[in-house]
Amino acid sequence: MANRLLEVSDLDVAYGDVGALWGVSIHVDPGTIVAIVGANGAGKTTLMKAISGLVRPKRGEIRLGGASLVGRAPEEIARMGIAHVPEGRGLFRQMTVLENLELGAFQPKARPRLQQSLEKAYALFPRLRERAHQKAGSLSGGEQQMLAIARATMSDPALLILDEPSLGLSPLVVQQMFALIQTLHGQGVTILLVEQNIHQALKVADHGFVLKTGELAMQGSGAELLADPEIQKAYMGVLE
Amino acid sequence: MLNIPPPEILLQLSINGALGGAMYGVAAVGLSLIFGTMRLIFLAQGAMIILAAYFVRALFYGLGIDPFLSLLIVVPVGLGVGWLIYQGLFRRAAAEEDRNISLLIAVGLMFLVQNLMTVVWGGNTAAVVTTYTASGIELLGVRTSFTRSMGFLIALAGTGLVVLFLRGTLVGKAVRAASEDMEAATLMGISPHRVNAIAFAIGISLAGAAGVAVATTFPFNPFAGFIFSLKALVALALGGIGNVAGALAGGIILGLIEAYVQYFISGGWTNAIAYGVFLAVLMFKPEGLFSRPYKKA
Ligand SMILES: Nc1ncnc2c1ncn2[C@@H]1O[C@H](COP(=O)(O)OP(=O)(O)OP(=O)(O)O)[C@@H](O)[C@H]1O
Ligand SMILES: [Mg+2]
Repeated sequence: MANRLLEVSDLDVAYGDVGALWGVSIHVDPGTIVAIVGANGAGKTTLMKAISGLVRPKRGEIRLGGASLVGRAPEEIARMGIAHVPEGRGLFRQMTVLENLELGAFQPKARPRLQQSLEKAYALFPRLRERAHQKAGSLSGGEQQMLAIARATMSDPALLILDEPSLGLSPLVVQQMFALIQTLHGQGVTILLVEQNIHQALKVADHGFVLKTGELAMQGSGAELLADPEIQKAYMGVLE
Repeated sequence: MLNIPPPEILLQLSINGALGGAMYGVAAVGLSLIFGTMRLIFLAQGAMIILAAYFVRALFYGLGIDPFLSLLIVVPVGLGVGWLIYQGLFRRAAAEEDRNISLLIAVGLMFLVQNLMTVVWGGNTAAVVTTYTASGIELLGVRTSFTRSMGFLIALAGTGLVVLFLRGTLVGKAVRAASEDMEAATLMGISPHRVNAIAFAIGISLAGAAGVAVATTFPFNPFAGFIFSLKALVALALGGIGNVAGALAGGIILGLIEAYVQYFISGGWTNAIAYGVFLAVLMFKPEGLFSRPYKKA
């Protein structure tokens, strides 16, 4: 318990009067991959937005390395070490690939390391070096997703949040994406991964949480959840 | 049938139109920046330009400072005033994300500034008359006004500096990023208040530069700014919202249109046609004249 990186406890979130999350608790230990899985509308994105400050919880606590995040602005939470790749990627499509990467290192503590971080990102994503001066909006879907992830690594975050990185990608690119997630994990990056691609996500995850209509339905190691008959019945029949 | 006038006349019209239009353009660049990060049409921009013109006049007649030299004072003061206007008037409304409130504040500021100017300087027409006010220079073989040409240079330099800032510095890139997607920008650690304040600071300092150009070129009165704001809005639409260099170009195009309308039709039609063009652009080419239609993501 003492060295939890992220600890979300008993979180309620509502959009106006309509509740989206009820009493959700999750945690992420340093150096692990944690998967959040669940059907459409289960509240996965809402949970990620609450963590990065884009929506304000009604109740509950969110702590990063012990410091409370509740009530802080998203830019402040970003500077505290959370890099959130949102659903839909959030690229600056009119700006170049290089400019997007530079903005990933906008925060003061990342700026001095801009060149090193850039080299590291290019080493991991050689395509981005080739396309450095193209507009982000001109990249293919897979390249855009790579850019969004590369940009998020530019600040060397304590926690990397990926909200449905495989959305809209071809099966081959999805494989590359998951390989990449494992490479980042190998480099010591802590990852909180939201996926509808449940099988793949649980395969790479150390731990998983299952959300169901705004509540935590189940949790366990990736392997445990993969083997769970209920999960297989409810979520994977259609997918695999 | 129109009579085609001789080429010298066309050139004369074009040069005068472009020089005048650059004034709208520089006002539009300020609107474009502020609209970019705040999605606010800062209707008080014209009033701020006239306020700057009065300030330039006071510096000239009170302290004997040459109007063009006063750029060195007006531009930095504009930066500070813009920063203060954001922090004092708009910061809270921006945090609420209610753009109607921000728009009302802008309108309120416009009326306040207009009326304060009337109280301080009276409602009559004012002008800055220097030894070179009536001088002309030769431009492409056409004789034209020296002060208008200076105004054009000021507009060009001001816009150029803004573009350099937006493209060449990390903070400038943050302003562009926030203009494109504020939520994504905050995830990069970019503070909305910071980029909004920067947009305002630069926008008002451009109003200061435009004030110098106006003061040296036209007679003005406290209420002359509103029409300026409207013309800047037309220039903004022509140039493409969110395109800073396009805003300057939009202003120049508007100036050309006005000059031609005045010559070929009549002076009475210039405003009506300018606003007609505005509506036509918004209806048929809302992304502006210089960009291709956005592809849906
Ligand atoms: N901005 C919003 N305003 C109102 N309701 C919202 C908003 N965003 C999400 N919701 C609602 O909150 C619930 C949870 O949505 P959320 O986007 O968090 O689900 P999700 O698990 O990410 O779904 P998906 O897999 O489709 O991305 C849904 O019922 C959704 O309709
Ligand atoms: Mg979602």
